[in-house]
Amino acid sequence: MGGEREVSFELEIPAKAEYVCVARLLAGSIARQMGFKEESIEDLKIAVSEMCTNAIIHTGGGNGEKPPISVRYLAGGDSLTVEVRDQGPGFDTGKVLGQEGTGLKGKGFGIPLIKSLVDEFRCESSPQSGTMVCITKFVRSGEQDD
Amino acid sequence: MDNELREGTELDVNLEEVGGVTVIVLSGEVDVYSAPKLRDTIRNLVEEGKYNLVVDLERVAFLDSTGLGVLVGGLKRVKPHQGDLGIICDQERILRIFRITGLTKVFPIYRTREELLASIEGA
Repeated sequence: MGGEREVSFELEIPAKAEYVCVARLLAGSIARQMGFKEESIEDLKIAVSEMCTNAIIHTGGGNGEKPPISVRYLAGGDSLTVEVRDQGPGFDTGKVLGQEGTGLKGKGFGIPLIKSLVDEFRCESSPQSGTMVCITKFVRSGEQDD
Repeated sequence: MDNELREGTELDVNLEEVGGVTVIVLSGEVDVYSAPKLRDTIRNLVEEGKYNLVVDLERVAFLDSTGLGVLVGGLKRVKPHQGDLGIICDQERILRIFRITGLTKVFPIYRTREELLASIEGA
């Protein structure tokens, strides 16, 4: 996709469950164009689905319309970065990101799952600016395991 | 992508009775949008007194943690009634999610319908 140049795409989806598949399918399409292996495309789709699901669950509240979720895709030469931003109330990243999330007693499978499927994971959250979760996966990710 | 698997669509849920076990056959994608349909199906079955459930994921094109959460919730509902909730799945991309989250140790997993039948007959 575009050789070595970075290409970016931006998507704004309503904070509703039915739109998560749109963000996920776009991630899959971009990754396929970039030459990701099928397994890595699946990893990216799951990660984006988790990120958008979290954003929708934690956005807004109250009786008013929830603010939209912003999804930015940055296709570099050898990696795809996806950034999901919400305008929710934010959370304590130290507390939430340390959860185990495995087995029957798992508090939440989402974050541990994202971390295990991508190469880089970053999360910033504050009450003033909402939450930003950013992941990167490299095209040749895991190739040494083949 | 297997052309028989449906991508970006809703979730179809069908029920079958196999040797005293209720098999919930899913087709489509299980995510935050569609998972409530599966949760309601499991909830209704438990209310009807059906505690031995198996969810067939063989025609599921996508499953994320919301779907896993519903399956775990279902297992927690049937366990107090001495029931169980198993999975039929031979798709590596789905099984991988169960492995990553440690759930292969929690659910009985059958690779095929035949494996489930053999298990029922052997019980």
